[in-house]
Amino acid sequence: MEIIAGFSHGLMVALQPENLLYCFIGVTLGTFIGVLPGIGSMAAIAMILPLTFYLEPTSALVMIAGVYYGAEYGGSIASILMNIPGTPSSSITCIDGYPMARQGRAGVALFASAIASFGGGMIGMVVMAVLAPVLAQLALNFGPTEYFAVILLGLVAASAVSNGSPVKGVAMVVAGLMLGTIGVDITTGAERFTMGIPELRDGVSLVIVAMGLFGVGELIVSIKANASGAHQNRIDYAQFYPTRAEWKAMVAPILRGGGIGSFFGALPGTGQTVASAVAYAVEKKLSPARARFGQGAVEGVAVPESANNSATQTAFIPTLTLGVPGSASMALVIGALMIHGIVPGPRLLVDHSDLFWGLVASFLIGNILLLILNIPLIGLWVRLLQIPYKYLYPTIIVLICVGVYSINNNVFDVWLTLAFGWAGYLMRLFRFEPAPLLIGFVLGPMMEEQLRRAMLLSRGDAGVFLTRPISGVLIVLTVVLLVWSILSALRAKRRVRAAMRSAE
Amino acid sequence: MPSVISVFQRLQQAEDTARPPHAWLGALGGVALLALSVLFIWGGIELGVGSPRRLGTGAFPVLTGIALALLSLAVIVMDLRDTSDAERPDWLAFAAIGAALMVFASSVERIGLAPGVFLTVIIASLPDPSLPWRGKLLLGGIVALGCWGLFIGALGLPFDAFKGF
Amino acid sequence: MSFRAATALTLAAALMGSTALAEPGAWSDEPVRIVVTFPPGGTSDLIARILAQYFESEFGQRAVVDNRPGAGGTVAADYVAQQDPDGTTLILGNNAPFTIAPTQFDSLPYDPMAGFTHIAYLGASTPALYVQPTMGIATLDDFIAYANENGITYGSSGVGSITHILGQAVDSALGIEQIHVPYQGSAPAIQDFRAGVLESYYDMLAQNRDLINDGETLPLALAAPARSPLFPQIPTFRELGYDVVIENWTGLSGPAGMDPETVQTIHDTVEAIMAMQPVVDQLAQWGITHTAMTSEEFTGFVGGTIETWRPLILSANVNGG
Repeated sequence: MEIIAGFSHGLMVALQPENLLYCFIGVTLGTFIGVLPGIGSMAAIAMILPLTFYLEPTSALVMIAGVYYGAEYGGSIASILMNIPGTPSSSITCIDGYPMARQGRAGVALFASAIASFGGGMIGMVVMAVLAPVLAQLALNFGPTEYFAVILLGLVAASAVSNGSPVKGVAMVVAGLMLGTIGVDITTGAERFTMGIPELRDGVSLVIVAMGLFGVGELIVSIKANASGAHQNRIDYAQFYPTRAEWKAMVAPILRGGGIGSFFGALPGTGQTVASAVAYAVEKKLSPARARFGQGAVEGVAVPESANNSATQTAFIPTLTLGVPGSASMALVIGALMIHGIVPGPRLLVDHSDLFWGLVASFLIGNILLLILNIPLIGLWVRLLQIPYKYLYPTIIVLICVGVYSINNNVFDVWLTLAFGWAGYLMRLFRFEPAPLLIGFVLGPMMEEQLRRAMLLSRGDAGVFLTRPISGVLIVLTVVLLVWSILSALRAKRRVRAAMRSAE
Repeated sequence: MPSVISVFQRLQQAEDTARPPHAWLGALGGVALLALSVLFIWGGIELGVGSPRRLGTGAFPVLTGIALALLSLAVIVMDLRDTSDAERPDWLAFAAIGAALMVFASSVERIGLAPGVFLTVIIASLPDPSLPWRGKLLLGGIVALGCWGLFIGALGLPFDAFKGF
Repeated sequence: MSFRAATALTLAAALMGSTALAEPGAWSDEPVRIVVTFPPGGTSDLIARILAQYFESEFGQRAVVDNRPGAGGTVAADYVAQQDPDGTTLILGNNAPFTIAPTQFDSLPYDPMAGFTHIAYLGASTPALYVQPTMGIATLDDFIAYANENGITYGSSGVGSITHILGQAVDSALGIEQIHVPYQGSAPAIQDFRAGVLESYYDMLAQNRDLINDGETLPLALAAPARSPLFPQIPTFRELGYDVVIENWTGLSGPAGMDPETVQTIHDTVEAIMAMQPVVDQLAQWGITHTAMTSEEFTGFVGGTIETWRPLILSANVNGG
């Protein structure tokens, strides 16, 4: 009852004309920023931050949140159309979205992504409304051991994201873990593999890895592929409405993706990229259509989009209730509140219930606005593919350059993107997939940090990983998952061999 | 400049006629990974692995390095058995896109965003012969103006549009 | 000059008294770039944005904030040191690139003193020592006794960060040996503290206001020269007989070789802004205390912190390259 009263009050707040306007501005700006590769929600939020000094705190928060989840909507557009993720978290959407576009189903993929984002957003909103205090408590019970266990689970899941050879998939995850060690060791302060370059002390930015491996690498591949006009084959512009069968196929993935996304969003640090990867990996194990994953399955677009959008909503839980920002964008949210003298923390839900419920209700309104905004735009986006590639790719290269440069206003980041871009192209030649590497790269530093912190706090006793209940359960779960997937892989191999023998 | 491109194009044609199976190329990828992992193992040992009780700075690089080394050996074995056709490398695009990023990185803080973007577009569009020089220049101009308007005008990012003119 | 600027001028002049009188106001036709050593969103970034906003609205000096995070602020400092000293590039400096880095890193691409013109001191915030309220520790003496008997873990906001240096200062002043557990920023440290896995931590006072009021964390002592108006009941280390003063300072600097007149104008403009009521209120909320200093005094202050912190940084054994 308290929740319904709170929510309806929030709805009144969110429906005030000025909040509605700021919500609209936020989601629109977010969508377009999200489309631009490399420029994420952070740049857009930083840009509107001074503007929020003059706004009511609720309006400010509603607008910033709009940018944040609007960018997740927009991020998938470039992934689907050009295999270039607008935001790192939409990298996973490339895996099935781009093949769909190549098959002339770009409109359907964009529609599916919009619907899945909406579904995920709604799930995230409900979770936040109903479970915020519980999830905040859960996050509080997560010490280093628990984090380590969750990350381990995420890694095992990530190895399954790959659609090529499983060995290469695992190799890429491990390579990502290894590359994640570049930079200052946060436990001792010693530099690792920085070659004396100060910019490398803080490690390589996730945006650079994503833009290099996916964006630049893909561009090099596609110039020749598109010289013959291959990317504009058989597009049916009118057709973007999914078939009945496709609608039905999307429901379960959206629900599962939304659930998984909500969980990872609520844990500060793991974020949308991991949420979408884990959701995709789980779906690949469960979906009846798993054989088509990687070749343009509509479920493969729906699941990561649902997951990363629900994660963007629940990411506000630790930010607002614990004051722990999971990402740079969330740190900006805290900054915007600090300007108004609001300190995020356990008392925010009580002291500023207007703000909290107004925000939750704005998720509903913002996601509806996004749907209204995005569905008519699908036709326009798909038409983008009609622009001859010779005009398009130099423009994209420039957008990537500016986007990467704008992260730290440092040209070194552009050089680094070049290195990762070349590496990304070579990886494609050698048939390695970039997605598992990206996940390993996100999780590696966190995994090492939590592992070593747990050991410091337990004063060298590794037993804590099993004796603390949450981490114990998670680790057992991970081991079961690992053994199960190895066994099923072996069984599949045996079956293939037997089939081959009988065919001979 | 055009002569450099024609050299690349000729190289390209030579590559296109001969298509080896994936095996040797794939194995090369595994070898590169192996080399990378050895580098991290060696570097990690230099940094100190510490003890199980108190893990050192190099412990994690060494552990992941060893895992990657083993996996890359498996990858090499797998790829050597692969008899499918190799992908055709497109070294011209590889070089041009790389050069475009280099040009952007070296120009944006010296001459400003607009001229930097103009040069980047020209370089990036080099490998596509279907776009004539006039088209390349025009495209460069339009994208430069667009970036100026979008990033400096609309988004207010702290870049200089022109510098040192 | 607008009427408001004129009022500000009178205010500033009254405030500064003895300082040589320059006129606060715009000093360049170009927009001024205020380089911040952190990503957007933190207190430092917000101060820069407030300055930029007031430069423009009150004095007609256009200004933009340029976030160049990385390597403990040394990337930003290096960038600024290389720019033209015409007053169009300034850095919102702090202890990381100017006080800690010179000792922490063997080779620094810039000289923290000769490479810069230190213009104006903005203020400092106060860090404190916090312990779990359930540990039966009520005073600093209890803390020392507990630490000597059981050993104690403390969370800092990172290796070589101000809170780590403070931990070291406490170790040597109190004659104890704490177990250092570094985090990336103070928020995750506080999270682990609340999860009960961390026994103590060091952090700025203002950010912990709610936790202190709710009794979830117990501040034992401040590392400031005097008590804080936020919580006047918390004693300082100095009062308790231990000389531990480590303040988190912020100031405005530019590249070396700036024209003295420009320096004076910027200095006076900043002082005028720091005296405006909304700014005073905002800074008080963030727990930042401003003291008026001339440019010479500020330069001396920066040089002084390098010297006084050096032994602490060395004992923290943060081996940078």
